[in-house]
Amino acid sequence: MKHCDKCHVDVNTNQEYCPLCHQVLSGESEPDHKELYPDYIPMRREVLPLTKKVLLFMTIISILTLITVNLLTWNINNTLWSLIPIGSILYFWLIVRYGVLSKQNTAFKLFLLTTVLVMILNLIDRVYGAVETRGWALDYVTPLAFLACNLAISVIIWVRKINYRDYIFYLITIMVFSLIPIVLALTGIIKVVWPAVSALGAAVFILLFIIFFFPRSIKDEIKKRFHI
Amino acid sequence: MANEKHFDEWYRLDNAAKIFPAVSTRRETNTFRVQVSLKELVEPEILQLAVDAILERYPMFKVRLKAGFFWPYLDYNSSPFYIEPMNTSVCGPIIPKENNGYLFKIFYREKTIAIEIFHSLADGSGAFGLLKSIIYEYLHLKGYKVTPDNMILTKDSRPTREEYEDAHNAYYDAKNRKHVPEKKAFGIKGTPIPEGHIGLISGVMSTKAMLDLSRSNQATVTEYLSALMMYTIYVTQIQYREHLKANQKPVKIFVPVNLRKHFPSKTLRNFSNFVKTEMYMTKSDITFSEILELVKKQFKEGMTKSELIRKMSENVAFEKNVFLKIMPYFIKKFALRIGYKILGLSLNTISFTNIGKIEFPDSMMPFIEDATAAAYSGKFNTVNGAITSFQDKFKITFTRSIIETNIEREFFRHFTNQGIKVEIESNFVEEY
Repeated sequence: MKHCDKCHVDVNTNQEYCPLCHQVLSGESEPDHKELYPDYIPMRREVLPLTKKVLLFMTIISILTLITVNLLTWNINNTLWSLIPIGSILYFWLIVRYGVLSKQNTAFKLFLLTTVLVMILNLIDRVYGAVETRGWALDYVTPLAFLACNLAISVIIWVRKINYRDYIFYLITIMVFSLIPIVLALTGIIKVVWPAVSALGAAVFILLFIIFFFPRSIKDEIKKRFHI
Repeated sequence: MANEKHFDEWYRLDNAAKIFPAVSTRRETNTFRVQVSLKELVEPEILQLAVDAILERYPMFKVRLKAGFFWPYLDYNSSPFYIEPMNTSVCGPIIPKENNGYLFKIFYREKTIAIEIFHSLADGSGAFGLLKSIIYEYLHLKGYKVTPDNMILTKDSRPTREEYEDAHNAYYDAKNRKHVPEKKAFGIKGTPIPEGHIGLISGVMSTKAMLDLSRSNQATVTEYLSALMMYTIYVTQIQYREHLKANQKPVKIFVPVNLRKHFPSKTLRNFSNFVKTEMYMTKSDITFSEILELVKKQFKEGMTKSELIRKMSENVAFEKNVFLKIMPYFIKKFALRIGYKILGLSLNTISFTNIGKIEFPDSMMPFIEDATAAAYSGKFNTVNGAITSFQDKFKITFTRSIIETNIEREFFRHFTNQGIKVEIESNFVEEY
């Protein structure tokens, strides 16, 4: 026990200075005294690891190069073609950040990555696609990507039974998303119908399966997510 | 699956808890700590076993926070909970992703066991309930003969619905809910501690001496200390600063009130309200006794049953507002943040909690050294205080997010000047 002559308080420590007035404390240090609170260990400021630094550096250099080349060759090809590789590079980072490094649940990762991918491919198709092939992203990719996502989440639920409640919400959302191609097919925007139908079919199949065999889970999930 | 029955368990956030998920950040963490020191070294392996056993008894804490469309909610958490060695962060942010989704942490160090908990889960009373149960189970597992004596929830008893109730909703009064507008409070400025660390300084005094001192001034301990707190702020921050005195906001002390003492509720969740003392300190010769008289008067007014009900009902009415209710949460979040900025933090200079006497059954007393409580300090409320007493150890703990310690210094010197012995503990944040 040390003492501060200025504040007239005992201080339970081996430190040198009074925490109140920062004067030197009197009294001897007790060799076997343990501080009540732990010593400071510097928080490890997350310094980027070398691989990440290199990748980030390459990313920025490539993006700048792409934009420059695109602008310099504007009179040969007057489209913003550089946005396609740039978009792909950014998508790569999205996969690293949210797909690999994130601790979010797997269904959320799959759902997010699929949705963004579908959006990027649709944009590429709309903006840059040749006229004769236009529509491939909407016709094939969109419904089939959701179908794949749906199957993947179902497999995960099947394999890791414990967490199935966490994933149901995403299944329902995909179900809603799978309706979009069908609506587009009905309004004639989508020409090829079978991918849209099979995506919705799979979604409905999985949903019905859950409703029949885990009837309470869906009801509970909706109740929880939408309580006022 | 042994725990299948828990899968159905989910909880709405209680009235007080609803605000915190929206407004908490890295600096404004809205966490607090309750801590008990034993007389012997803590064995982490046994503590982990005790925690595992007790969490089954406290399903309210075995949860994760999930996003709903209108409100977030607490859902059963099937992941294991791990205790960890105490680190330097005091009341730091609790990041669920790094904590298996849990909204609280349990630390051990030498002889000490501490719980840091996000305010959405419980208030000080609920957190101490959990800590007492864990310590009971820990001592039990170590083979000591301890008995709960109806003061502690053991793992053998069963959780009751009453423990999870949102007591605000049970006891509010729809007729008595007038909103009383408030002025912004004076804020204590200072140099922020780097890296967002929080400094902690406790002073331990004799409970008897404290009681004698406040009784000789015809005040309760809380009244006396709140008045002293105001006086200290006045002396250190305002008295000699004319530019502050001229255009000054009132100094306000926010003193939480445990409503379980006023209503017959056994809830383990949030159930507290507050009483505030308030004073414009524009004169240059305010005396302590003058402040004490004012504080006593304001406590008397603030602690009447109808006033406590009014403050509680005001919050419940806000929550029950139809527009707020049907607003999707991602919009509501912004509404809550703005509301909290205007109506929450900036209305208090300092928050000063009296947790009160920490009681254990007689059979456990020989194992316990002392008890501590601490609340986080943030950007606006840069200094906060918490009081606990265990036997003859009366402990006032200050946490601060600024380097300056003159408030703590003057506060404790007030006692030493009157010949009361003070023993200081600190986490020595200034040595970092």
